[in-house]
Amino acid sequence: MTAELEIDSLCKAFGGNLIINNATLELEEGRITSLVGPNGAGKTTLFNLITGFLRPDAGGIRYRGHDLVGLAPQRVTRLGIARSFQNLRLFNNMTVYENVLVSLENSLRLWRRKDGRDHARTQAVLERVGLWEQRRVRAADLSYAEKKFLNLARIMAVGTELFLLDEPASGLDGPSRVMFHELLRSLQKDGHTILLIEHNLDIVREVSDRIAFLNKGEVAAFGTPEQIFADEELTRIYFGVSAQ
Amino acid sequence: MAAYIANMMVLLGIAIILASSLDLMVGYAGIFSVAHAVFYGVGAYTAAHVALGYTHSFLIATLAAMAVSGAVSFILAVPVLRVREEYFVVASIGFQIVASTIFTSWNSVTGGMGGLTGVPTARLLGWQMASPVDYMILTALCVAFVLTVIALLVHSPFGRALKAFRDDETAAIALGKDPLVLRVAATTLSGALAAIAGSIYAFYIAFVNPESFTLDYSVLLLAMVIIGGAGSMAGPIIGAVFITLFPALLTFMNIPSQIIGPVQQIIYGGAIVLLMVFWPDGIASVWKLMRGRRSPRATAAARALPSDRAG
Repeated sequence: MTAELEIDSLCKAFGGNLIINNATLELEEGRITSLVGPNGAGKTTLFNLITGFLRPDAGGIRYRGHDLVGLAPQRVTRLGIARSFQNLRLFNNMTVYENVLVSLENSLRLWRRKDGRDHARTQAVLERVGLWEQRRVRAADLSYAEKKFLNLARIMAVGTELFLLDEPASGLDGPSRVMFHELLRSLQKDGHTILLIEHNLDIVREVSDRIAFLNKGEVAAFGTPEQIFADEELTRIYFGVSAQ
Repeated sequence: MAAYIANMMVLLGIAIILASSLDLMVGYAGIFSVAHAVFYGVGAYTAAHVALGYTHSFLIATLAAMAVSGAVSFILAVPVLRVREEYFVVASIGFQIVASTIFTSWNSVTGGMGGLTGVPTARLLGWQMASPVDYMILTALCVAFVLTVIALLVHSPFGRALKAFRDDETAAIALGKDPLVLRVAATTLSGALAAIAGSIYAFYIAFVNPESFTLDYSVLLLAMVIIGGAGSMAGPIIGAVFITLFPALLTFMNIPSQIIGPVQQIIYGGAIVLLMVFWPDGIASVWKLMRGRRSPRATAAARALPSDRAG
């Protein structure tokens, strides 16, 4: 498999504290990779650096041959990388339908497309995440699980190739979690690459092809779930158990 | 009396066009501008120049006014919209002060404090405006045009993207929307629409001078949007009606002539304060609230959903 995203010796400091410390990581096309690590390891900061919301102090980020450093977030999204946020950030005063429609349509158009293509794409995305029936409901009035799926639907709608999902399954009940797994797998089957931050290690074990273990801003380990979970030192770091 | 009412309606129509076009910036694009009177003024001066020098055609003068005012708002927007919103408010005040100074001092173009006089009466497709009633009809047509354009805009992909920014700017950017491009476009369109009011004013009053395009009037326009309710079609209309007609209504109160001025100002100002204390989302929000209470349809679909709500 070829590397879709290459992160090379990335560094980012805030007020003298090195949050990302020489992080190096390659994401392979079509794989689901989980980014795990203790709180404060720099996982969300890494997302912010990849997507252009932060600019690295040093190091490089390349996506399919494009240098991402210095690009504005909207430019990064247009290259095919989109992210979710822990706190969802839905357009709460808009309906479910509008949340997806606004994500996929050309915002500089002053009139609606007559060929119905945007509508058809919106319908397809909402049906895929199981929210078509709720299309007229305001986003703010959705259940928590539905909000999570709408969040994913918006990212799907922008034509994303590389999904960066920040705790997408946290707070989901059993059936929703199953549906979420199925959705991730179907995205993967379509050839999408997924990098997700997740604290629930059961979910990580269930969905991941690869795991990157981030600690104090550096990628301390990278491997299959079996390799990572077998490493006692990583478990000690993750759960904060002091070495005996 | 008919002329008085027609006069009030023309002034009200001008206020509705200005408040509604300003709401495109404030209510939809989230840009708090205290310089909207500048675009009104640029529209008025341009229309006056076209009428004085070239043609009495209201249509041509107004199109020219929209083009010039749109260009001026574009020039303001490109550098200034890069700053954060609270700084934009301050920057817009600066822009208003600069523009007011230019209106007052650029004698060869604006006529200085004396202004441009003798603007001929307007002609629209062979119809020569002769009375305040004619201008009232013209203004009503312009109001209908502006409100239709704004309604189409806010329901277009462009308007939806503005609403997305209003709801959550970070999420909109993360979905590939460019904040600068959208805000510059909103500001340019807003400036161009405001020029229509300027053109009506120039032809109707037949005289354009800087006193009509001051910082005070820009603040009043912003007050119309906020008092009526930003981000809705009805809000700026209600705000414009309130701000324009309330002082006129006060003149019918039986107040001694020596103190009528200050008493009017105190009642007027006090009413604005009370409105903002009790209805901070504007008068239009009260209607929405009442409609929501009477008709629970809006939340019915939400109630029918599974019960795994997050609180």
